[in-house]
Amino acid sequence: MDIVKSLLMWTFALCLAGAAVAVPLIMGLPYVDDLFTRLLIIGVAVAVAVLLVVAFHQALFFHIRFVLKSLLRNLLRSSLTAAATMLLVFVVTCVWTVLWFLHAVTSEKSKDLKAIVTEKWQIPSQMPFSYGNTLADGGARQPGDAKPQDSMNWQFYGGSLIQDAAQRNRENIVFFFGMDPKKFLTMMDGIDEFTQSEIDQIKKYADEMVKDKRKVVIGVERLKALHKQVGDKIKVYSFNYKDVDLEFEIIGALPKGRYALSAVMNCQYLNDAVNEDYPRTHSGKKHEMAEKSLNLVWLRVPDTKTYEKVAGQVETAFANSTPSVKCETASSGVASFLDAYRDLLWGMEWIFSPIALVSMAVVIATAISISVRERRTEMAILKVLGFGPWRIMTLVLGEALLLGALSGMISVGLTYLIVNVYIGGIPFPIAFFPAFRIPIYALAWGPMIGAGTALVGSIVPALSARAVKVSEVFSKVA
Amino acid sequence: MPISLFSIILFGSLTLFLALMAVLVFLGKVPLRYNLRNLVVRWPITLLTGMAFILVIGLMTVMLAFVNGLYQLTQGSGQPGNVMVLADGATDELFSNLGASDITQLASRDDIVRDEDGHKLVSWETYVVVNQPIANAVKGGRQRRFLQVRGMQDPVLSGRVHNLPLHEGGAWFSEVQELPDGTQAIQAVLGEGMAREMGKDRNKASLEPNDVFDLGPRKWVVTGVLKSSGSTFDSEIWAKQSRVGEMFGKPAYTTVVLRSADAGTAKTVAEDLTKNYKTPAVSAQTEKDYFEKLNNTNAQFLYSVIFIVIIMAIGGVFGVMNAMFAAVSQRTKDIGVLRILGYTPLQVLMSFFLESLLLAVLGGLLGIAIGSLCHGFTASSIAGSGAGGGKSVVLKLVVDQYILATGLGFALVMGALGGLIPALSAMRLKPLESLR
Repeated sequence: MDIVKSLLMWTFALCLAGAAVAVPLIMGLPYVDDLFTRLLIIGVAVAVAVLLVVAFHQALFFHIRFVLKSLLRNLLRSSLTAAATMLLVFVVTCVWTVLWFLHAVTSEKSKDLKAIVTEKWQIPSQMPFSYGNTLADGGARQPGDAKPQDSMNWQFYGGSLIQDAAQRNRENIVFFFGMDPKKFLTMMDGIDEFTQSEIDQIKKYADEMVKDKRKVVIGVERLKALHKQVGDKIKVYSFNYKDVDLEFEIIGALPKGRYALSAVMNCQYLNDAVNEDYPRTHSGKKHEMAEKSLNLVWLRVPDTKTYEKVAGQVETAFANSTPSVKCETASSGVASFLDAYRDLLWGMEWIFSPIALVSMAVVIATAISISVRERRTEMAILKVLGFGPWRIMTLVLGEALLLGALSGMISVGLTYLIVNVYIGGIPFPIAFFPAFRIPIYALAWGPMIGAGTALVGSIVPALSARAVKVSEVFSKVA
Repeated sequence: MPISLFSIILFGSLTLFLALMAVLVFLGKVPLRYNLRNLVVRWPITLLTGMAFILVIGLMTVMLAFVNGLYQLTQGSGQPGNVMVLADGATDELFSNLGASDITQLASRDDIVRDEDGHKLVSWETYVVVNQPIANAVKGGRQRRFLQVRGMQDPVLSGRVHNLPLHEGGAWFSEVQELPDGTQAIQAVLGEGMAREMGKDRNKASLEPNDVFDLGPRKWVVTGVLKSSGSTFDSEIWAKQSRVGEMFGKPAYTTVVLRSADAGTAKTVAEDLTKNYKTPAVSAQTEKDYFEKLNNTNAQFLYSVIFIVIIMAIGGVFGVMNAMFAAVSQRTKDIGVLRILGYTPLQVLMSFFLESLLLAVLGGLLGIAIGSLCHGFTASSIAGSGAGGGKSVVLKLVVDQYILATGLGFALVMGALGGLIPALSAMRLKPLESLR
């Protein structure tokens, strides 16, 4: 039995030290590109963990056993505190996920960045499709000019499955990204969130869409909202291309996550309908959108220097054209779209998050305060047995930290699993982001939030435990 | 105050809850003074438990005030007698494109109201969204903002149609105005919110008449500020349609707004235009209906707020339970004494239950009071129908009687859920065992 206990304690101590080192690792590694440095960090972290356990295992064993016993003594209280912490960690994780994602997409990159070319002034941008070729080359005209590594044109085609405008709503409206289907995997953001089988499936869809321009893929959530399924044929009555109503065949569903509410069509279908079919059926008259059908061009450039060159070339090439264009980094473009939400996001970051964290600290503080209040006699006995004030304080802090860190870890683990695997992201549509997947780094947030708030919440009760006076306690008992 | 099913349920259940509390206190002969003293004696725990209520209810008040502000903004926009005409199939002004020559017949209707000068109240408009590089933008911060610009054919008439006069000192615009440096600037009036927002670029509270700003390839000069607070027009820039359409590549009108006698006539006119006007076909709706549809975003925010608040409240309930369980376990002997003095188990239950509710009422009221401080603050957001388009708006956070009642009701529910199980455990204690 002793061996089992010892093994359990060892495992627990190792896990604790491992977790303590893993947190900075998970937080720090994504920002290190060099493999050797990564291996070095991992090696040092593991070594530190082992040294920690070996050097302090005696003290650790005692502390952990004591802390665990204290927590298990009032299982109801520990469970309620843990449950409250888990719920609040869940809320904070969700809010931080949204903020983290938006921060990530609006942060300027220095390598492998994307640029967006749009009409200079108007939103939505509407450029002549003929701009596309020049823009795909980044406006390069001279032999030494910089060229983008890849490009993608976007044409927006929106419409409803219902012809009557008065009845149009979210349940019958669909917006298509009109684009070269092959570019979906090479140029769209967030492809790394897809599994290999999803990527293979999308490749197949793209091939089919190239062969038959009427074939489309629609996000799984949008399909559900439209009450349609793969294999269905639909007719879309457009509201941005008047009298260009197109028939489609749905050949696949984009998986849960970023594109769950999106739809992709072959732009060739739209261009043929606007430039060839419409004039043929309207006595040769050009469609009013014929010269406005290119909404956006994405360019991939290797670094900031190339971006600056390409941006200059693009803006120079179209300086005297109507409409003129602007070239900006994707992060800058997205930031402009998010500008309308800035107060909401500010509130989430600076009002909601702190209040949620303080609430968590208060719940833990309540539990630990009650616990200390109930155990003043026990603290006095420990002092009589030779425990120093600081040691008693660390025991109380240890209880809170263990409870907070474990609750946080379990909560964030479950949140990650449920939100990412089952729900497909936090469904909080902001700008053109329909859902937010919880990042892998969030697995480190849980224990950190739990432990951090527990530490803050338990400092005062721990100090009060430290200050317990033996004579006072025993005089009351007597 | 409009009486709706929601208000009846909300205020009815709150009254019922408070009445129940009063009945428990007065008829149940509960040792209330004992509970009050206990709350005071154990003040650190009382304070911490109360904090849970304050934080959750305070946060809820702020978040609901934001959503309420959005609702009030969209509800306050639009005139009851106005009919909004867009191109057939267009779900928003942004996607509308009305051919100028084809729609003049819209104004020939007899059911359009005339102003005192005998002019038919019709507003011909071109609505565009334009991106503007922010003057004096901080490096690394936001560099551009999107502005909503509305080109008006006749600004005076449009002001009357939308019932939006100018602030004192302002004047309606014509085409352009020569600046002191000889530059020709486009004249414009700004919504109050927009004037404040653009004033930040110049460290001013608000832009005023004769202030100049850059937009598109031209300079613009402010001639007036609209009294537009509380409507979506608060975030707009109005200028001459001929200038706006030409500069931003939208020569045709996007919107025509007709003023009819009243809401009923507006509905009839809208239906008639949608059904019978075919040169070309148009999509007409009452202006009130149009803004009602913009509530879709509000609903999305409201659901998120409800979800978050419920999760946080459950967390808070666990905290309250902790405190109340501790109160019961620390006062086991007291409970024994109370029972021996003749208090029934039900009275003991009521005593602890009321203690929890009292804490909830105090914490809830404080939370509401602190949360209510946000009333009147302004925030930017988007109001949209979910069918594309949408409007950037500047809204005022509004704390009203519904939010106050919801906050108090929520606190009471939290207190009841958190206090009931510990109170039940107190009720089940046997007098002799508890004294042992």
